[in-house]
Amino acid sequence: MAITSKELQTLARLAKLEFSEEELEKFRGGFEEMISFCDGINSEIEGDTSSIREVDSREIEWEDLREDCVEESLPNEKILSNVQGERGYFAVKRAVK
Amino acid sequence: MSGRIMRLSAMLQSGEISSRELTQSYISRIERLNPTVNAVVHTTFDEALKNADYADRLIREGRATALTGIPMLLKDNICTDGLPTTCCSKILQGFKPYYDATVWQKLRAQGAVLLGKANMDEFAMGSASETSVYGAPRNPVDITRVAGGSSGGSAAAVMADMAVYALGSDTGGSIRQPASFCGVTGLKPTYGAVSRYGLIAYGSSLDQIGPLAASAGDCSIVFKAICGKDERDQTSYYEEKAAAFDVKNLTVGVPEEFFSEGVDDEVKEAIEAAVCLIESAGAKVKRVKIPAFKVALPLYYIISCAEASSNLGRYDGIRYGYRAEDYGDIDDMIVKTRSQGFGEEVKRRIMLGTYVLSSGYFDAYYKKACLLRGRIIREFAEVFSGCDVLFTPTAPTTAFPLGEKRADSTKTYYADVCTVPASIAGLPAISVPCALGKGGLPIGLQIIADRGCDGLALSCADFIERQISVQVKVCREASL
Repeated sequence: MAITSKELQTLARLAKLEFSEEELEKFRGGFEEMISFCDGINSEIEGDTSSIREVDSREIEWEDLREDCVEESLPNEKILSNVQGERGYFAVKRAVK
Repeated sequence: MSGRIMRLSAMLQSGEISSRELTQSYISRIERLNPTVNAVVHTTFDEALKNADYADRLIREGRATALTGIPMLLKDNICTDGLPTTCCSKILQGFKPYYDATVWQKLRAQGAVLLGKANMDEFAMGSASETSVYGAPRNPVDITRVAGGSSGGSAAAVMADMAVYALGSDTGGSIRQPASFCGVTGLKPTYGAVSRYGLIAYGSSLDQIGPLAASAGDCSIVFKAICGKDERDQTSYYEEKAAAFDVKNLTVGVPEEFFSEGVDDEVKEAIEAAVCLIESAGAKVKRVKIPAFKVALPLYYIISCAEASSNLGRYDGIRYGYRAEDYGDIDDMIVKTRSQGFGEEVKRRIMLGTYVLSSGYFDAYYKKACLLRGRIIREFAEVFSGCDVLFTPTAPTTAFPLGEKRADSTKTYYADVCTVPASIAGLPAISVPCALGKGGLPIGLQIIADRGCDGLALSCADFIERQISVQVKVCREASL
């Protein structure tokens, strides 16, 4: 199945990724091959599937849910230990002018 | 190789050796072998020695279990408080989680000794561990070949005796296939049997943590230590079905589709030999069919990539891990961070997942995949109404040469053809070495059981191990 550069750029935007035109050309062949590979399932169920409900592997046992208790959260300094923080917040470049 | 845990545990508890001494010997072994095998990507030797001292105290106080003082590894996608956990990806470089995964909490409480984190495919996406940002681990049986994936480091380390056992994770075969390639035993438990709290998510409806070890007996000890319900993972619910193992009352199903084109003759012959062996021991053998097998592989890639595209949405460079240096606004920062931080295969799978979930293609791919998943579950259920376990190959080939399939993703995907059906259906499955192929490369037998019958799969694997003594030889250590 042929995928246009425009379609790939739209997908990349949705996935929050970016590719240069050169990268995209390189990527396209492998991606089309993956789509053809996935087309393997399309031969199995023909026609409109809109009225069929998906089957999950396990019914959720709603009575089995844990109590909704408030617990102490992780310490602020621990959370910020992995990344740039400022005055107890995650710091990024100014977003609002 | 058999019963390494019980043997070492007896030595520890009799005082013949201390956990500190045992740990130091494994540290030396990792220091000597890892430059060649590349199975361990983060060593935690200081932590290991602390764990060992705690274990020695538990032993002195008479509070030891079989796993107390035993050195082990965790796959690099299992969170450990204050210790590196990177999923072998640039995007998590330097990340040190602030909590422990439930499996590590349970093992640490028993006095397990953590030597480090095992190499893996980036975000567990691959079948040869070649997408790791740290480079691929090598197969200790033949260092020119892959260790399998995605838990390739865990399997290679166990084979090279750089750890007594290791935990891996299995989404579509990531424990079983590397176990098969490296000649060790690996169990993917029933979906829900082991808590995934603290396992970095890939495909949430498929992911499961399990052990890789030298024998089914060892896997059984580790599995019992980590299984059970955990309120922090709503999918965990385990209730084991009691099933006493008696080979004379056992019905073994052999699904013909697993022996289809693409599976090497030497692999088919090895599995058929194992089937004959269990039949001659008194088991009944039935030839069965799983017709939906033919769609299992594309179905698996649709569902796992769809889930991955959603799960990996959290990597934005704001809260942890890598952040791009030059960027404009926040959106640009997120896009640049992700584009620079993720490797090629991860990006390909995120893109595929985004594609199959996008409005124009949702019905054609994702929805159909979910419907077919139901069909596979039903077909397995029908088969298990007349069989106790299924015998199949674990992988269609033995370990292939490093780099051979790197350029061709879809060819690599075929390495999972025999393992994904059990993952899709949430069934327990174990890979146990059953023969050696050309070049002395190990061949794994996959034993699939019904949901909750992990114990039966383990007993069956133990039986096979006792009947077929496969002497997998590690490459001469001088060349390692």
